[in-house]
Amino acid sequence: MIRDVSRREFLGALAAGAAALALPSIAGAQQGGNSMAAPMTEGGYKEVRRPARGTTPSMTADARDALEHHLHCQCGTCTLDVYTCRTTDFNCPVSPAMHRDAMALVAGGYSAQEILDAFSATYGERVLMAPTKSGFNWAGYLVPSVAVGIAGVLVLSMLARWRAAPPERALAMPPSDVTHDERARLDAALRNDS
Amino acid sequence: MILIGELSLWVALVMAAWGTVVAFAGGATRRAELVASAERAVYATFAFILLASIGLWDALFRSDFSIKFVASFTSRNLPTVYKFTAFWAGQAGSLLFWALILTLYSSIAVYASRNKNRALMPYVTGTLSAVALFFVATLCFGANPYERLDFIPVDGRGMNPQLQNPGMAIHPPNLYLGYIATTVPFAFAVGALITRQLDGEWLAAVRRWSLLSWFFLTVGITLGMWWAYVELGWGGYWAWDPVENASFLPWLTGTAFLHSIMVQEKRGMLRKWNVVLVVSTFLLAILGTFITRSGVISSVHSFAQSPVGKWFSWFLLVAIALTTYLVMTRLKDLEAKAELESMVSREAAFLYNNVMLVGVAFSVLWGTLFPIISEAVRGTKITVGPVFFNAVNIPLFLLLLGLTGIGPLIAWRKASVSNLRRQFTGPLVAGVVGLAMLLALGMRDAYALIAYTLCAFVLMTIVQEFYKGVRARHAMYAENVAVALYRLVARNRRRYGGYIVHVGVVILAIAFAGLAFKRENDVTLKAGETFTTRDPYGAVWTFTSEGVSEYEELNRFSTAVLLRTTRDGKPMPAIKTEKRQYVDSQKENTFEPATEVGILEGARQDVYVVLAGVRGETAELRITFNPLVVWVWFGGLVMAIGGLIVMWPATEKRAAQAGYEARLRPERAPAAAS
Repeated sequence: MIRDVSRREFLGALAAGAAALALPSIAGAQQGGNSMAAPMTEGGYKEVRRPARGTTPSMTADARDALEHHLHCQCGTCTLDVYTCRTTDFNCPVSPAMHRDAMALVAGGYSAQEILDAFSATYGERVLMAPTKSGFNWAGYLVPSVAVGIAGVLVLSMLARWRAAPPERALAMPPSDVTHDERARLDAALRNDS
Repeated sequence: MILIGELSLWVALVMAAWGTVVAFAGGATRRAELVASAERAVYATFAFILLASIGLWDALFRSDFSIKFVASFTSRNLPTVYKFTAFWAGQAGSLLFWALILTLYSSIAVYASRNKNRALMPYVTGTLSAVALFFVATLCFGANPYERLDFIPVDGRGMNPQLQNPGMAIHPPNLYLGYIATTVPFAFAVGALITRQLDGEWLAAVRRWSLLSWFFLTVGITLGMWWAYVELGWGGYWAWDPVENASFLPWLTGTAFLHSIMVQEKRGMLRKWNVVLVVSTFLLAILGTFITRSGVISSVHSFAQSPVGKWFSWFLLVAIALTTYLVMTRLKDLEAKAELESMVSREAAFLYNNVMLVGVAFSVLWGTLFPIISEAVRGTKITVGPVFFNAVNIPLFLLLLGLTGIGPLIAWRKASVSNLRRQFTGPLVAGVVGLAMLLALGMRDAYALIAYTLCAFVLMTIVQEFYKGVRARHAMYAENVAVALYRLVARNRRRYGGYIVHVGVVILAIAFAGLAFKRENDVTLKAGETFTTRDPYGAVWTFTSEGVSEYEELNRFSTAVLLRTTRDGKPMPAIKTEKRQYVDSQKENTFEPATEVGILEGARQDVYVVLAGVRGETAELRITFNPLVVWVWFGGLVMAIGGLIVMWPATEKRAAQAGYEARLRPERAPAAAS
């Protein structure tokens, strides 16, 4: 049965929730963590170079452009991928430099995954336009689908429960205050009508 | 005027505070004179905010650079229309604009309820005043648009070139109109929860305002996509940027509410759920504002970091705590008044639709916040871009698209097998035929195939509904098709307006799926050189450069490249793309050069050309074929038209009638009676 939550219960839960929220922020402060680092300028660029393995490029220019769609421009002022940024914003000094690095790695015979790994090793995972499918990042990919799935199951089970117990609702209806005389009068009226 | 404007802001603060205190006191003590005073305070708050706004506009038009806001966002040579729109170009002005619309809406809501909802109104008035108080306090203490500079500069910094676009002039106001309209349903929900008057009474007012919010959000989001497409130059219209997501979230929950409210009206079910949706929509609108203004998540749209973000986060937390308390302590009052009779029924379908809409909202919110969550858990910064959002959301969108077709065809209470067969045979056949045709034409992209198959299915369900309605009217009243169609829609605005919205959704889905066939080319051309390529439909295009030209206009120097084009050997219109360097009245550069995209629009595709840069005589260009983009704008327009039809006032009168109305043909009536 659903029951109302008392004020005391609610305030208790609120206090617990506030404490739970406060703890990670305190921990974060102790680690010196700050979700908003200072915006990067052209200083955000870091060279990504590896010794060439051969003289044959590992992919076509189209495939390299596609690869650059998976790399995040590190200028810090845009949210674009390297390809889109360098072909849109002529003023950005970072995306053309990252493009040159990507071209050099392609020319050096490195595969797409190796190039992505090289950029990740230099800049960290933030250089990828999407988190890698590993470890905690799986939560990012799976939680929405799992949440929708759980919600779906809950809704279906709720619907099934409702269907299974329709008579309860009828019984729960408030008793009629129609008197015996009034009912008899109604029956008579209905008999006359028919 | 400036002094009057600034003073008005402070008077508005006092009025909003008075309205808040007196409204709740009046409600608690049942003193009508206090409630009346609070309602007058709402009107007064609006009047003073209007004066404050006029003062700021006056300063913008007169280029009064003693005011920091005016100097920050305008210059003497800025076209007049953009001096008007500069009002919402920066933090302080946009907050004042927000307060202006909020107090206007509040005044309308209070005035419209002067003879009804009287038990709720003290708390509705109090909640509206409290929200207004927050915004006016933020203006007075956190982001005052009347803040002065220590000196008066000769000229202002000017407006960001990307904001000097007609789309940007009308996109933010529409979004604000949508965001802020969520406050009124929220206030009614709070009023209904406090007074425990949670029957249908409050829903009528809430529905109208929710529709208004949905309409403006739809228009605002569509205009935002158009602006991003024609102005930013990255070749798309939706980048899953946090601020774009922030506008999408209340749209999703608002859409869910507009569906589930029908279940409450018809069957008295989903009462808790509807309250939660109304409250969530408002909180998500505030969350969006928090994301825009706090700088907590990097976005191309974000305002500079300011203490205002913290104010919003506290407001959000308090609002969440209070509304959670109200809902949790009134669960019994919110119990359903009917039970579901079948899992295959209209109300069940609406519930499934709600799960998907809220699921998509959760998914978008999760993706938007995941960088923060990841950093908190792992201490590692990550980027969550379109690749992630598309991977997670496209399957959910496809499910939602399917439900768009299924829901309206299922009967209320319980659908029989014959009902299902009758309703779904045609649409299923249309879907299968559509799929077969696309496969035969060589389409192999899995998502695009599923999307177009579902589009054919949903479109057929809608066509079938219109066909049946028109045929029935033709048979009953001997009306011709045009008259029957007009009257069908006019007399059932809510239902058929909703179908028109669904047509818009289908058009949008068709256009979005077209992105799978986008083609990009990175090109360098000197004068007289030609680039040849194929478009997604297989046609051969040539682009011949006419060379680079430079010229001066009102407030900018432009560098332009003109391309002569042919398709399969036939001449097509020329395309011009530019880089613009904006300057102030002293000819000093104001901002970094901005891109002006060249677009050759067509029903099948846009040819989208960006001048990335010029090196000597050589132009560096990106030439993109964007299939079906024009249908995004058309789909948004159709959705807005459908929303207008649903909102049309006469709908409310008819909404009072429950169930279906059966009429006999006039000439047969006597015979039937005998």
